[in-house]
Amino acid sequence: MGSKGAKKTTRNRLPTSKADHITAYLMILPAFAILAVFVLYPLYMAVTKSFTNWSFYGETQFVGFENYRQVIRNAYFQKSLVNSLKFVLILVPSQIFLAFLFAHAVKKLTGGFGTFVKVSIYVPTVIAGVVASVIFIFILDYRAGLVNQMLKVFGLPRMAYANNPLLATIAVCLVVIWLGFGYNTLVFYAGLLNIPKEYYEAAQVDGANAFEQLIKITLPSLKNIFVLVSINLVTGSLQLYDIPYMLTGGGPAQTTQTPMIYLLNNFRDMSKNMGLTLSGAILMMIIIGLCSSVVFRIISSEKSMDA
Amino acid sequence: MTRRSDRIFKVISVIISLIVVILCLFPLLWMTLAGFKPEREVMAVPLKLLPSEWTLQSFDKLFNDKNNDYFQALKATLYVASLSSILVLIVNSMAAYAFARLEFTFKKLLWRIIILTMYIPGMTILISSFVLVSQMGILDTYTVLIVPGLASAYEIFFFRQFFLNMPMALEESALIDGASRFRIYLTIFLPNAKSPLVIIGIGAFLRYWNSFVWPVMTISDKSKYQVMQIIRSFRNAYSSKFGVVMAASTIAAIIPITLFLFFQKYIIRGIVLSGIK
Repeated sequence: MGSKGAKKTTRNRLPTSKADHITAYLMILPAFAILAVFVLYPLYMAVTKSFTNWSFYGETQFVGFENYRQVIRNAYFQKSLVNSLKFVLILVPSQIFLAFLFAHAVKKLTGGFGTFVKVSIYVPTVIAGVVASVIFIFILDYRAGLVNQMLKVFGLPRMAYANNPLLATIAVCLVVIWLGFGYNTLVFYAGLLNIPKEYYEAAQVDGANAFEQLIKITLPSLKNIFVLVSINLVTGSLQLYDIPYMLTGGGPAQTTQTPMIYLLNNFRDMSKNMGLTLSGAILMMIIIGLCSSVVFRIISSEKSMDA
Repeated sequence: MTRRSDRIFKVISVIISLIVVILCLFPLLWMTLAGFKPEREVMAVPLKLLPSEWTLQSFDKLFNDKNNDYFQALKATLYVASLSSILVLIVNSMAAYAFARLEFTFKKLLWRIIILTMYIPGMTILISSFVLVSQMGILDTYTVLIVPGLASAYEIFFFRQFFLNMPMALEESALIDGASRFRIYLTIFLPNAKSPLVIIGIGAFLRYWNSFVWPVMTISDKSKYQVMQIIRSFRNAYSSKFGVVMAASTIAAIIPITLFLFFQKYIIRGIVLSGIK
């Protein structure tokens, strides 16, 4: 990543002696070996096996793109992709909106109270998806959960998220948002701190109102942050697993089944062709890569319009 | 006039912040309260906000019931997460030092390969990784829980950024004194890298402590069960006894929260600084 430029600007390197070449290799060896064995080799394995009908039983044969054709045509895989799209469309804008908005409030807070708020909103971020799911299963319980008992007090109908596709989706999103909110907010907050005050002062002198300042100063200045957060959120939403698995098990009627739940269910079913499951996994890598680059393009081009 | 609107905005910010803080913390408080309630009050209709008597019944069941392995899982997870975070720090900071401060053949190529791994989604290699570790015969061992996740391109990158900015004078004088490069890394670079060590170390601990899919796939020996695995199994085993599940979750949440609160200054500053790039 820009190693050429970095080299010139930070000439922070002393000449390395011959013997130190060996030191260097020994120092990168553990990290490199682990990445090679547990990341690159599994990728190679997934790619090559995805072109075969490999399973726990029987001979392995090369089948070309047959697995890809089948998995793309598979109704459950298709449905999981649609669900994923649904999660991306709900989770990415809503999380960005909430975090961006609240970051402005956090910026206004000073001293001990400011620290208290920053620390408090970050606490859920360190909680496991499994624990968060269990807490919300408890809170959303149909009979005795906090939410439904409150609804009853106000004379409203109780919500059975387990049987209702819309509510199930909302429940999953609620947990995801609760878990990620603090981190996203602090990232936006960091971005806001970094915009020079003089920009806003100059704009005020020019008579720009709050909305104009937002469009002309804040949004363009935070372009990189928007790229970073959006790509994180898109790739995260496409790989959802723990939370829908615990909360709804992918139901009702597969409406919250994500590609990862689908692939792992498929994988556990020993009779299924593993090549098929692996081709699904490779397709997901391509989809995640494409979505990230689309997000990157959209946000980058928006900046060039302003500049 | 701007003064006044500024003040109004500040008051609104304080009020909204309080509401948001409550929304963030209340689920955790509700979980903790449930852990201390007598079983019949956990799911009481109508609602019992506070326990009528604070009891350790659920915790007692968690630790003293012969049928569950919670305490063992707690120990096993603590072992895996602490050992792993130390190893993560060593493995990644060492590689980062070499990339930041040394010149060697194929450096650029090796760096590109490491960066490439950042773009491979976890879910893509999950299944083939499982096949690989089962072929290696390391299922149901601590090795399978610890080793595969030790190296991370992101973490090497993070350390490297920090090492790149350390002044050259430090290194120069040590070299003149005849120190080896490894010694310089060990005695000069690491002691001066407190903040990345804390940030990456805590991050690694959380990653291992909270991990769920990988242990579920690779561990079936109950003595090595990880906490999240147990909590999932509790969801079915104690489906009518939420008190026990909440007590288990409370303990599983308190450890990362305590760690975070202890090091919050570093972590929040870390986000604020790294977010800027």
